[in-house]
Amino acid sequence: MAIQAGNLKRGEFIMHLDDIWQVQKTEFYSPGKGSALMRSKLKNVSSGKTVDYNYKSNESIETVDVTSIEMQYLYKDVENAFFMDNQSYQQYELLLSVIGSVIEYFKEGESMYVYVHDEKALNIRPPVSVTLKVIQTEDAARGDTVSGAKKEAELETGVKIMVPLFIKKGEMIVVNPELGEYTGRA
Amino acid sequence: MKIVTTAENLKTYQKYLRIIETIEKFLQENNYLKLDLPVLSPALIPESYLEIFKTEFRYLDTKDNLFLTPSPELFIKRLLSEGIGDCYSMGKSFRNSEPNSPKHQPEFTMLEWYKVEKDYKYMAQEVLKMLSAISRELFGKNTIAYQGKSVSFDKWEEMTVAESFKKYADISAEELFDPEKFVLKAKNKGYVIDGFTYMDIWSQVYAQEIENNLGTSGYPTVLFDYPVQFSALSKPNSDGKTAQRFEFYIEGIELGNCFSELTDAPLQKKRFTEDDRERSRSGKIEHPVDWGFIESLEKGLPESTGIAIGVERLGMIFTNAKNIEDLKLISIK
Repeated sequence: MAIQAGNLKRGEFIMHLDDIWQVQKTEFYSPGKGSALMRSKLKNVSSGKTVDYNYKSNESIETVDVTSIEMQYLYKDVENAFFMDNQSYQQYELLLSVIGSVIEYFKEGESMYVYVHDEKALNIRPPVSVTLKVIQTEDAARGDTVSGAKKEAELETGVKIMVPLFIKKGEMIVVNPELGEYTGRA
Repeated sequence: MKIVTTAENLKTYQKYLRIIETIEKFLQENNYLKLDLPVLSPALIPESYLEIFKTEFRYLDTKDNLFLTPSPELFIKRLLSEGIGDCYSMGKSFRNSEPNSPKHQPEFTMLEWYKVEKDYKYMAQEVLKMLSAISRELFGKNTIAYQGKSVSFDKWEEMTVAESFKKYADISAEELFDPEKFVLKAKNKGYVIDGFTYMDIWSQVYAQEIENNLGTSGYPTVLFDYPVQFSALSKPNSDGKTAQRFEFYIEGIELGNCFSELTDAPLQKKRFTEDDRERSRSGKIEHPVDWGFIESLEKGLPESTGIAIGVERLGMIFTNAKNIEDLKLISIK
């Protein structure tokens, strides 16, 4: 399907220079000389490489039809993460550089949605939140009540994030995996 | 759309106020007269690439169309031709069809200031002095840090548009100013050209390959002498290809746009007609053309130079903000 670049949205998959890219960021820009533009950050789904590209806002862009399939996250090695379709048992792999740091918030064996086009996995569809256990964090010093103060905590997947001082080792917390931010207690 | 309150930006907002005060102090000390101008007008300057906001005045059974001004220029030029002399205006301007982005909002604060009997090169020096005045007032020195990069106001990095295309996009002056050659070059670089004009494609190449490099050398960049096609209100140079226009940049952000003002009434009239026709062709909101502006030019606009500066964008630079909203207590989103 073709859309106008001015309507591009974050997360969409598009054709650019004969390759498939996922839109990471868009920003409308009218320089006041010539066409208005859509500034976009695109990630190549085959290499993980990102580019900044300015489309004319009324330029036609071919979008890529994708299906989102529920899969089990099996494991990752230094380069790739591996998934399995729960229905067909077909396995898929994705470059870690394509998925980005969001993978650090998932446990092996967990279910998640993966975008697929033409039998090829393009990227995962990260959930808005994940619940993870705090496995290591220092106890807050008594009397340390500065509002908004944060400390580091290590979560069960090994990733470290900043959490409020009142969070204790062993607690379950809710995290936004895309931002890598604490959003609340579970 | 909704109203969003961000009172937590109070500190940045207060700093932004100091920037505005410093700008006004600088201009008033240099004998520019402050103008308080309308934002509603019954007629506008036709600008082919700008969309406008339309409203109406109603009284009993009469209705008059009014338009929010995308710039105060039409008022200021009238006053200049009446002999008012050096002057400035700082107020709201409005541009439709331009969604919120980190560097722009459809309603924004614009500073325009005009100096008579001088040209754009003089204005560039005046702008540098103003940037320096803000830097010294806020930080006590002539250097600031924006997003971790140091910017000094000791001098401009000066570059012509032709030099920048050669340096950053490997496009020669011959290709740059010849629409046919330029479009072919863009096509070879992989740009989509079918159905687009020289100006559209030029704008895309400029944003893609040039702009991000401007104002990144430790000094602000002044880029001057744009192709005449982009300079509807500015004086042409004698080379026949360029016009006396500059823009200035810090860390890839365009902050202002200056012309040596076009004083040739017949030429201005011709450009108005062309721009008005282009507006109609591209389906923009129709508005009466401000022919009174042409009459002012016929009366005699003094030789002058004028600059328009996005005040919030300048505020971002001096408060080290990444987003215009960081300066605001209230935003419409």
